[in-house]
Amino acid sequence: MNDSMTQAKAEQENKARTHGIDISAIERSAEDISIDEETVALQVNNLKLYYGEKEALHGIDMQIPQKRVTAFIGPSGCGKSTLLRCFNRMNDLVDGCRIDGRIMLEDQNIYEKGVDVAELRRRVGMVFQKPNPFPKSIYENVAYGLRIQGINKKRVIDETVEWALKSAALWDEVKDRLNDSALGLSGGQQQRLVIARTVAVKPEVLLLDEPASALDPLSTLKIEELIHELKDEYTIVIVTHNMQQAARVSDYTAFMYMGDLIEFGSTNQLFTNPVCKQTEDYITGRYG
Amino acid sequence: MAQNSDVHLQHISQQFNTELRDLRNHVLVMGGLVEKQVSDATLSLVNADSELAQLVRQTEDDIDKLEVTIDEECTRVIAKRQPTASDLRLVMGVAKMVSDLERIGDEAEKIAKIGIRLTEEGQAPRGYVEVRHISNHVGQMVHDALDAFTRFDLDLALRVMKEDKAVDTEYKSAMRSLVTFMMEDPRNITGILNIIWVLRSLERIGDHSRNICEHVIYMVKGKDVRHASLEKAEQIIEDKR
Repeated sequence: MNDSMTQAKAEQENKARTHGIDISAIERSAEDISIDEETVALQVNNLKLYYGEKEALHGIDMQIPQKRVTAFIGPSGCGKSTLLRCFNRMNDLVDGCRIDGRIMLEDQNIYEKGVDVAELRRRVGMVFQKPNPFPKSIYENVAYGLRIQGINKKRVIDETVEWALKSAALWDEVKDRLNDSALGLSGGQQQRLVIARTVAVKPEVLLLDEPASALDPLSTLKIEELIHELKDEYTIVIVTHNMQQAARVSDYTAFMYMGDLIEFGSTNQLFTNPVCKQTEDYITGRYG
Repeated sequence: MAQNSDVHLQHISQQFNTELRDLRNHVLVMGGLVEKQVSDATLSLVNADSELAQLVRQTEDDIDKLEVTIDEECTRVIAKRQPTASDLRLVMGVAKMVSDLERIGDEAEKIAKIGIRLTEEGQAPRGYVEVRHISNHVGQMVHDALDAFTRFDLDLALRVMKEDKAVDTEYKSAMRSLVTFMMEDPRNITGILNIIWVLRSLERIGDHSRNICEHVIYMVKGKDVRHASLEKAEQIIEDKR
């Protein structure tokens, strides 16, 4: 009560000082977000990953904030895609791949024994570099995840397909040809279809591995716009080679180099005044 | 402490290096010209040299052109290269620096104009001592500010910012003595008013030199020290050397 009164008073004083023109919104928009105040979606603790004898990730510690876009950047082979694939245990499919450490999704270590990996991958969906729609109709592509979950009611599926396609900003372009083959869509449309397919099973986290690198600039912008809209609902982690893309779409950026996380911070800070020299050299295109 | 001022020349893209080097060189050319304008303007005034004053007025056009050109270069670099981190700060800093340099040029032109007027009216050189003194002082500030930019020398930048305070004090004390002259003999008023304008311009040149140094600190440290106290600026410079 007292607090709100003093706050109201302070606001009034501020208004008087600025002739009734509210400048607080401008001040707020210039403020940088702090990662410490975010809710954690994924907590990574001392994560080490080995391909056979070779250690590819050297003890990564980081927190992926909820309902924000986090971008991983770094040169080829730095481990960013490897780290991304850890989040839904895609690396389990790689021969000779071994993992130490833990990744907490909510309160559960996803690498614990007995974790239902199929369920994990529903909760943590993934989109790859090349659009990979199934050779089925547009409708069936999106409905696929629902069907394997055992959902068979046509009404529910219809609604979900429409909702997912709308979420992926594709509905208007395909609503009249839902039964056409998905392979007839353009690359950009296919990628959005794949995102719709991922979104249809209502995941919590979306992992995007170079989602726009095979697309033309305008389709890329559509995907970026989509990412911006989806972050209201989902935690998004994106790996990209395109630094400007990371700067455009993400709230937080992680710079990785040779299997280490070098710098992780707000995108605004990282792209204007990075702390580490390695980060600076990479984002400005200098000899490392 | 001079930072490595070659940091902008280590890109994989040689073209980008060239563009940034050109940008910096052009600022230095403009800076050299502006520095010369300041000293010429004062010289023309105290020596009653109308010819030199005319030259200052003509050179002002060149400075204006340089400002526009360098601004365009900045826009081009941003559009083509999407600079980040220190490169971005360099480009943004330069874009702001050139407007300060241009304003210094404007002030020098004002001084030259007053010089022409005073020469025509042939008045007694009251207050010229103060003008010469403060002019030397701010001339050195402009020089040091540009030096601080060339070498990314933050200590020098800080020194210039401190000098600005000293100039302000000198300006105030000069004002006091000029007011005394005016009270002594009202016939002096017109002439002394002109000298006051000159002093005012010189004081502004000091302010712009300080601004340039603030931009240099931003380019190197990424911290905005405008509107911050000198202590705060000092602290930022000391941080993580």
